[in-house]
Amino acid sequence: MQYHRPTTLAEALRLVAEPGARVLAGGTDLVLRMRDGRERPDALVSLGRVAELAGVTLGAGSVRLGARTTLAELVEHEELGRLFPALLEAARVFGSMLVRNLATVGGNLCNASPCSDLAPPLIALGARVELASREARRELPLGDFFVGPRETRLAPGELLTAVVLDRPGPRDRSAFLKHTRVTVDLALVNVAVALELDRGKVARVRAVAGAVGPTPLRLLGIEALVAGQALGPELLAEVGRRAGDEVKPISDVRASAEYRRMLTGVLCKRALATAAAAEVS
Amino acid sequence: MKQTIRLRVNGDTYEVAVPPWRTLNEVLREDLRLTGTKRGCGDGDCGACTVLLDGRSVTSCLMLAVEAVGHEVTTVEGLATARDALHPVQAEFIAAGAIQCGYCTPGMELSAAYLLSRNPSPTDDEIRRGLSGNLCRCTGYQKIFEAVRRASDRLKGAAPPDAAAGDPAAGGPAGGDPSGGGARP
Ligand SMILES: Cc1cc2nc3c(=O)[nH]c(=O)nc-3n(C[C@H](O)[C@H](O)[C@H](O)COP(=O)(O)OP(=O)(O)OC[C@H]3O[C@@H](n4cnc5c(N)ncnc54)[C@H](O)[C@@H]3O)c2cc1C
Ligand code: FES
Ligand code: FES
Repeated sequence: MQYHRPTTLAEALRLVAEPGARVLAGGTDLVLRMRDGRERPDALVSLGRVAELAGVTLGAGSVRLGARTTLAELVEHEELGRLFPALLEAARVFGSMLVRNLATVGGNLCNASPCSDLAPPLIALGARVELASREARRELPLGDFFVGPRETRLAPGELLTAVVLDRPGPRDRSAFLKHTRVTVDLALVNVAVALELDRGKVARVRAVAGAVGPTPLRLLGIEALVAGQALGPELLAEVGRRAGDEVKPISDVRASAEYRRMLTGVLCKRALATAAAAEVS
Repeated sequence: MKQTIRLRVNGDTYEVAVPPWRTLNEVLREDLRLTGTKRGCGDGDCGACTVLLDGRSVTSCLMLAVEAVGHEVTTVEGLATARDALHPVQAEFIAAGAIQCGYCTPGMELSAAYLLSRNPSPTDDEIRRGLSGNLCRCTGYQKIFEAVRRASDRLKGAAPPDAAAGDPAAGGPAGGDPSGGGARP
């Protein structure tokens, strides 16, 4: 196995285009898979030195998260959490400090685990992913990026270079909730919501649940239910009863499908309530 | 295919020939013989393998050694800056009785040192969260949290509640072996 450590994006794209090459970011997933023999790349292309992929950039209208931004950098960023409370909360409860210091945004998304903690808040916030290959660049809504467990729309030779978010407006709010058995654990269920409140009513909303289907799932029925409404106790109770019908969880060692449905309702209800009360700026 | 790499560990430079799939944990322990860094689960769950990379705590079992090139690695052997004095975190671990078998201790101390470097006055909740990637099978954690509170006090320059108990450790019997091996109950 070869190991490459390019310093520019162009060089990285050339190396990733080679057959059998695999991208190495934080390694918190890939190193384990290689050790277990589930993955046997011919070459590793480390992103650790590629400056174009690093860090958070606040633009006038948008915010760009470079693919190799770590979870710790998201948590520590001075402004990001104020702009996107759902993203901050997801990063805060992600793994342990030791994992957050290694794991990257791009690695988490490209891993396409159904229980990713970053995918639901980023989809709810309307994020887009920038993809690049030697030949072309393109942008996709993150909601269209996931195909199934560990499967994405990334083509061979393509890199995820960044995640792009629109800056929130003054009436935009968001929230994220994750339920686990112990502190450092993958989600049994996680739910993210992002909404715009106009005079107490929901003008626009996205609700996304993770770990309850092959990919993160938009709760479209819940979005329709609350659109145009004030989030009062009765409506929230109805959300709690109905959100579980919209997901397709499995039973596994962590939880039964039935419990996951119930949790989806509870978390969705609470996330909406949290977001509605939270100030963005 | 082996490649020769240069690693900076505890201020020393080592040249080693390693295949790219070897983890930093394996190279530290087996090639550099710095066995203060432990290996527990090998899966990123237990924190026994914690080292600092440019001052940030990471699990060395999830990191390839080749990825550490160009970075400054600190293991428990390098936590104390002077040869015969312990780092305040190490001294307080001993003073508080936060060490039983000692297997989690190097990782626990590095995570504690990292936490205090970022947040000199952590709340109890912040200590628990900061150490949540480091598992201990022996102590029940209470003494570890106490040691971190005392180290926080000491690093801020205030004397810990009973300063006398903290001092014998510094330069004491465990002074030459900060890995915790000399501090079994
Ligand atoms: C102890 C522990 C706790 C964890 N807790 C959580 C948790 O709470 N929540 C959670 O969501 N996850 C968790 N994880 C999973 C893991 O940390 C994440 O999936 C992580 O974000 C992966 O990022 P990485 O940079 O380490 O990726 P890597 O392991 O380097 O890469 C992962 C995959 O993505 C590909 N890849 C990486 N970057 C790119 C890119 N820019 N373009 C194209 N392909 C790319 C790689 O080729 C590989 O296939 C945990 C893992 C461990 C070990
Ligand atoms: S050995 Fe690395 S986390 Fe357990
Ligand atoms: S594991 Fe034995 S002292 Fe922590």
